[in-house]
Amino acid sequence: MAKEGLLCSEEEAYDLLDQLEHILDHDPLIDEVGFIHPSHLLVLNKEADATLVSSDIQELDARMSSELSKCAAPKGKKAFFWNKDHKLGVSTAYLLPLYKAVKHKFMEALAIYKMHSGSSFMNENLPGNVAFSKLENEVMRHSRALLLLSSDFGTAWNARKAVISNKEDFSHSVELLVSALVLSFAPKSENAWSHRRWVIKRIASRCDTLEEILDKESKLVEKIAERFLWRQERILTTCVPPLQKSKMNYRAWNHRCWLISYMSSRQVLLELDTSRYWAALHVADSSCFHYRRKLMLQMLADASEQQDAVACSSQLRSVRKFWKDELDWNEMLIRRYIGREALWLHRRFLSVGWVKHFGANEQNPNGEGEVNNHVKVFMDYELSLLQDCLNVPESEFEDVQSQVIHAASYMLRLNWEICSSSGINLNQKRRISDLRELLNRLCPEKSILGGDIIYYASP
Amino acid sequence: MVELAAEKHVRYIITVEKVSYSIRKLTCCPDPLPQYLQKKDAFESVVMEHLRMNGAYWGLTTLDLLGKLHVVDQDEVISWVMECQHESGGFAGNIGHDPHILYTLSAVQVLALFDKLNMLDIEKSVLEGQISAFLVHDDLILIHRAEKNYALGLRSTLTLYSDIASLQNEDGSFSGDMWGEVDTRFSYIAICCLSLLHQLDKIDVEKAVNYIVRCKNLDGGFGATPGGESHAGQIFCCVGALAITGSLHHVDKDLLGWWLCERQVKSGGLNGRPEKLPDVCYSWWVLSSLIMIDRVHWIDREKLIKFILDCQDLEQGGISDRPDDAVDVFHTYFGVAGLSLLEYPGVKAIDPAYALPVDVVNRILLPHD
Ligand SMILES: [Zn+2]
Repeated sequence: MAKEGLLCSEEEAYDLLDQLEHILDHDPLIDEVGFIHPSHLLVLNKEADATLVSSDIQELDARMSSELSKCAAPKGKKAFFWNKDHKLGVSTAYLLPLYKAVKHKFMEALAIYKMHSGSSFMNENLPGNVAFSKLENEVMRHSRALLLLSSDFGTAWNARKAVISNKEDFSHSVELLVSALVLSFAPKSENAWSHRRWVIKRIASRCDTLEEILDKESKLVEKIAERFLWRQERILTTCVPPLQKSKMNYRAWNHRCWLISYMSSRQVLLELDTSRYWAALHVADSSCFHYRRKLMLQMLADASEQQDAVACSSQLRSVRKFWKDELDWNEMLIRRYIGREALWLHRRFLSVGWVKHFGANEQNPNGEGEVNNHVKVFMDYELSLLQDCLNVPESEFEDVQSQVIHAASYMLRLNWEICSSSGINLNQKRRISDLRELLNRLCPEKSILGGDIIYYASP
Repeated sequence: MVELAAEKHVRYIITVEKVSYSIRKLTCCPDPLPQYLQKKDAFESVVMEHLRMNGAYWGLTTLDLLGKLHVVDQDEVISWVMECQHESGGFAGNIGHDPHILYTLSAVQVLALFDKLNMLDIEKSVLEGQISAFLVHDDLILIHRAEKNYALGLRSTLTLYSDIASLQNEDGSFSGDMWGEVDTRFSYIAICCLSLLHQLDKIDVEKAVNYIVRCKNLDGGFGATPGGESHAGQIFCCVGALAITGSLHHVDKDLLGWWLCERQVKSGGLNGRPEKLPDVCYSWWVLSSLIMIDRVHWIDREKLIKFILDCQDLEQGGISDRPDDAVDVFHTYFGVAGLSLLEYPGVKAIDPAYALPVDVVNRILLPHD
């Protein structure tokens, strides 16, 4: 933290707040905020000044640029903000006084707003209306600045909802931008995600098709899920900073799962198609594979709900083909990316689902023996995959060890979920006890997989 | 193996509580900050002010588990808690903020710790006493006045129950506040609160249970909404709600037990989802769920105890998410609570469903004469 410390006068703090809100007003398309060490900010602003001087060609709005340089250097030397290409940098030096100033302003505006909303003040004559919309603007302005400093300040999100609820003509896209802006530096902010859902529900209640919005949301989730932040320093993260590097963002993917309920069958297929590429690039992202599982179950449900028998069976056939492709694709990934738990868990789902939904071979719908034979062929194939994964020279490398562990527990799981319930005797007793021994040796903490569960949990 | 540095943790919690107390006393105007706040993490602690109620619960429960609840100024805490109650009945995370069910639970739990749940209907009991006294003296005017007050008092206290009940939706789910976000965490909170207040009949329990069951996944776990990914935190909430309502038969115990025990990683720690790093706070969520479904013997307890103890700051006190990280109150609480579930000596037993010390829960729920 800079030596100049956190102290600045009240007046200076309000002045800083003015500058911040000014920048936000004048560049409504800002889509990313970061918090930058003062020394680095100085460098950035010097570069910016240099380009401003040298580039008349850019034809920047003259008023804008003079405002900006004023913002950047209010006292001649010290810089607090940096704003370029719709990115905003805020100096880390005075966050606390800035926060206190904006919280004060916001709470004050909210109290006045609450006093007048619901009263006749807002409905009556025109001057009253003008005054009231001024109050609304104050609440919106200060809550936005406040949320940039404290992303889960629920009261500020609520105040925005209250204002919007009273305005028929409010542009929801503005609200989606504000929440995306907060997510740009606080990708796990529960309130920001929840606010998006609130806005989307409102949009959904007004128009029939959400296709475009759903598409944008999906892209946003992917962007946030993979984001390597451009800022140098991020002191705002108050919750679990070490996890920041881990890309799996539960709230983001949860949001995407929530969107499925708004999707048409066509969009479900489209999403399966587009998320596949992303998943292959992020094989450790279990959340993304969960999303695919939800889409596949939705696809299956959509097909089964078909009234028309012919359409139904043809759709089920294509689901079956899709399922098979997913199994093959997953196997390819398992062989290529060694030791990924997410891939093996996905395979559990695929295999159990395959046997459950498509295990009875369509050509031989009757006859238990046939079904079991079909399942047996499948299990034999899985056993050979297992064998390949176990047949690696013992190694100290963690991913090699993990591959063996995941493969062995996968097989125990299939044995438990498929074989015991379908009454198939795999004649693999020996192999199963070998697997148990192997697991006991490699991960003694998972003693349950090595022993009890098979006896304990078998029906 | 290192031991639990209980005294250091108590001191750490008290220091943090003192700082927080000063923070919550800070009004909106930017007065000069006290000296100890002028350090690097001052901003971080101040921007957390909106969830102070949760912090109070974490800190105070830790103290109680370590047998040191008496060191805090009970009246000060309780009057602050009551100041956070909104006129709708729900509680806010701090004075002046909007209410949310997340904070209501913490407030109810804090009052329960101090055996002060009667704060929620103090007027009611006082007035009931008055009325019967007046009845003895047959003073009609006074009875009339007391009844009027009684009705007023009752209204303010009944608002908490009806506020929680009003958050239940048609499909049985619960919203967190008037703005309608739905999450199985809120189902747990509503059920846990109302159970502690003996008011479970105020909601449709069957519908609430059915909604939770709809959030069950094929892997045996539970998500935030139907179709949501399994997460140890959500699983705790769903299993806890099912346990409190006597509906654990809806859980596939072996399947869920398998998922939960696979959260244990090589270091002995537990993670909250596949492919994640272990974290002390999941000692609580995973372990309490395993206990509720009677599968706790499926994990290696000794290794987990060692992992938690390795996350202690042995000099300053406090527990972190992973060894050598910075400590915080949240992880200190979950570390101690985890050790309590593991029956570590010197730590009071905690109830896996209510997340309160067992003696506190018994005091409230066991019938007394
Ligand atoms: Zn944690």
